[in-house]
Amino acid sequence: MARKKDSDQKDPKRQGEKSVTRRDFVKAGAAASVGAGAAVLTTSGTALTQVSPTEAVRWTYEADVVVIGAGCTGLPAAIRARDLGASVIVIDQNFDPGGKMLHSGGQISLGGGDPLQLRDIKGEGDKEGFVTAPRQQTVAELTEDTDFLFRDHTDWSVMDTAAQAPYRYNERDLHRAYADNCYATREFLMANYVRMGRISGTHGNGGMSRARRAVTFFMEGPTTDVKKGTISKQDAGIAGKSSSHFAPRFMEDGTKVASKGARTNGAALARPLEFSAREKGVRFILNRHMDEIIREQQFSGRVVGIRASYSPRFDPSGARLESLWQNGNIDDRTETIYIRARKAIIIGAGGHGANPQFRSMFYPAWREPAFVSSGWALLGPRGQDASGIIAGMRVGANLAGMQQNLSYGSTFHFPGNLATRDPYTDMLPGHPTFSMRGSTGINLLTDSFQHLIVVNQVGKRFFNEMLVTTRQGGAAFPAGPGKGQPKKGLDHVQLDWRNASVENIKATYSEPNSVHAALAMNEGSKAPDFFSGPIWAIFDRAAVERDKWNIDPPFTSLTNGFFFKADTIEELAAKILKGHEFQRVPLTYLKETVAKWNSYVDKGSDPDFARGSDAPMHRIDTPPFYAAAFYPVWHDSYGGLRINGRAQVIDMQGEPIPGLFAGGESSGGGNQHGLGRALVHGYIAGTNAVKETT
Amino acid sequence: MDDQTTGAIDGSPDVVDAAEETKPHTTNVVVWDIPSAIVVGERFRIKVGMKCSDECDLANSPFGIYDNGLQGSEAGSGIRDPGSEEETGIRDQGTREGKRVATGKLSSDLWPGTTGLYVAEVELEAPSEEGLYTWSAKALGSDGEIPHADGSVSFGVRVVSHPEYLVTVETVDKESQTPLSGARVVMHPYKAVTDERGIAQVRVAKGAYRLFVSQSRYLTFGLPVEVAADMTARAELYVEPVQERN
Repeated sequence: MARKKDSDQKDPKRQGEKSVTRRDFVKAGAAASVGAGAAVLTTSGTALTQVSPTEAVRWTYEADVVVIGAGCTGLPAAIRARDLGASVIVIDQNFDPGGKMLHSGGQISLGGGDPLQLRDIKGEGDKEGFVTAPRQQTVAELTEDTDFLFRDHTDWSVMDTAAQAPYRYNERDLHRAYADNCYATREFLMANYVRMGRISGTHGNGGMSRARRAVTFFMEGPTTDVKKGTISKQDAGIAGKSSSHFAPRFMEDGTKVASKGARTNGAALARPLEFSAREKGVRFILNRHMDEIIREQQFSGRVVGIRASYSPRFDPSGARLESLWQNGNIDDRTETIYIRARKAIIIGAGGHGANPQFRSMFYPAWREPAFVSSGWALLGPRGQDASGIIAGMRVGANLAGMQQNLSYGSTFHFPGNLATRDPYTDMLPGHPTFSMRGSTGINLLTDSFQHLIVVNQVGKRFFNEMLVTTRQGGAAFPAGPGKGQPKKGLDHVQLDWRNASVENIKATYSEPNSVHAALAMNEGSKAPDFFSGPIWAIFDRAAVERDKWNIDPPFTSLTNGFFFKADTIEELAAKILKGHEFQRVPLTYLKETVAKWNSYVDKGSDPDFARGSDAPMHRIDTPPFYAAAFYPVWHDSYGGLRINGRAQVIDMQGEPIPGLFAGGESSGGGNQHGLGRALVHGYIAGTNAVKETT
Repeated sequence: MDDQTTGAIDGSPDVVDAAEETKPHTTNVVVWDIPSAIVVGERFRIKVGMKCSDECDLANSPFGIYDNGLQGSEAGSGIRDPGSEEETGIRDQGTREGKRVATGKLSSDLWPGTTGLYVAEVELEAPSEEGLYTWSAKALGSDGEIPHADGSVSFGVRVVSHPEYLVTVETVDKESQTPLSGARVVMHPYKAVTDERGIAQVRVAKGAYRLFVSQSRYLTFGLPVEVAADMTARAELYVEPVQERN
């Protein structure tokens, strides 16, 4: 494991009040357009006072590079900058690093002839002997170069099954750099304790033409040891019982991609990167929310630092939540601190999926505050709040790719996990934030929806329940009609007009519309926001027994407001109204809806939503009766700060904002799902940030 | 009591108390375990449960079962088109009085898993003419000190003629080819469950059906079948793949 010695690095330091020197102050300039004390609106709607441009800023800490967010962009950026000799401070609003990456599936699609594609082409394993599974793809399916990858990621012709073009609008400079840095990023990950298995397919708008996805893993062992690549069974999670602080979600079996005993998900990516960052001397200030980026003048000059507020989280006993590892932490509980960035600031603060006002720019019905972004409990109330994007906008940044939220199928969808507010995440007890969600959820497969009905906030059905969790697949290798393309696998042709022909779109179009139906206005929607309100799955005891659902804790909770049990339907409706935070109106029609449903079952047909053709219908009549929250989730964020191929944030005149970098879901212009995009951005940003001059 | 406290503050506790005494409690009625197909004239059993809005003891409370006639029949007071924008027939049913076919009293038992649902099992006789009927169960009030509003619920009763053909369905796991026991076989309105050999037998009338076989964690098997004689079918079920989270 190569590690650069950093004896000449300047460490970040807190400025002692008595030793403050001239360096510790910055004159923000007198020509700024915003006056002292000008009120600006934060994401929460709180009026904050912007630091006066004419007022001296007293820096609490300083470092060469300040990274906002310890997630999928921030951690690689921090490590890379540190490797290149910079002192680095990473702040994160949460109590533990990892961001959304920590609860991800750990799937990384890169490509362009990256080291893992080459490894599989040669039929080799890894040096540690963990990867012994046979190759998943043919040599041809793995063979490409960076130009080929670049074309794939900017292919105007590709249409997905919702007739959206996921590659057409990608920023070209950004994706040229992406293609050119995939090799180095994959190598960088492996050099920082990240183990990845065989290449298998490509996921989520990662390109149509070649296989590029590898999944991160640990091997089960007696202890968890990041250096050795092992994880204890307890840390990896016990199926149906527990997850852990180390891995918030149960880690899946990785036999097929590595070997027997492999356990996969994002913990096998996030924890190694965090471990390596700490080992290399990156400093972390956790529980710290970035509220403002400070620029010399609001719309000109360099960015010089940030203002950040204390954002601790507490468990129900009142104890502050603490990070898994402490080395490298700076535990500063001051309400407000200022951190100077000598060279650069890198925004890796995540997306906007949990900011109803921001996301409603794309889809007004998503202003409904009940619905959250994935990882809600893990990330806390300020996760995915668009603060990185908003802070960039406040110093003049342009935006990019704002419409691309609409061209990825899991941006918003119904995951099918009932009785929890965060249905994307199936966290089990064992992680410190489990108490925030209170329940893992009843995770149903599609076929199980034959046993229930789904109703809106007034108790009316709105869609065929058998189709309600159908997701539009991401347009990626191996292409084919299921991905919106006329040809599959190696037969797919880049830049071919036939891919976008009307005939092909007619043949492949299959956008699932259940979320749109769920968000529709109903009798309970009131001006000015016309919220559609919560969604409820209604079922009875017979359904539970018929399909063998486990509705006991930890899968449900009768106290968290997302699961209710009652002797009668009338009582059930009353309990929901009383016990659920976002149930603003009575479920006036629920009793009538259930009675109507039962009459349809008796008749064997559903004139309202055409149930009965793909699965039998079942009466809902056996007490007790249940209502489980059935929530959609905003998973991905597309659209954010415009960045160039060096990951520099670009202003409204098309010029880089000096010293300001961004990536991942804080940035826009790239429609690729998941980790690959953010990791490469982080790697590029870290590389270029250290080249900045003070 | 909160209301009494409020009354005292208002200086008129007696008025409030009097109002409380005369306000009847609501009774909600539930009916379940109704066979999906009942042969004409045969006896069948259903369960009837009732719950008071204030969780009063409803042991020995009387109820009646009413036959409101064939659905779609003008003579009957059955369900109107459920798709109607207006108040539907379903909502009306409780107020309609059909022919009383049975009466009963709740036992002192609470239904398992409930906090106040008193239950009774009732034996009934199916009408002599096939068709889909609307029946209702209605609370008949109580003689106690506290009046209870009459609650009611309607339910469908599917009456069929003697089904003459035997359909035998063998169900296996597609991959292992091992029998699946406990799988549900549905040829609406006829139903059966597979035994330990993966076999279920359903007796049905002549006609066209969609044969469904479903089992927890498996994708439902569906097959259109035309029944004009005894027949057999084999259902091979696939395990439903788990959707990945990435």
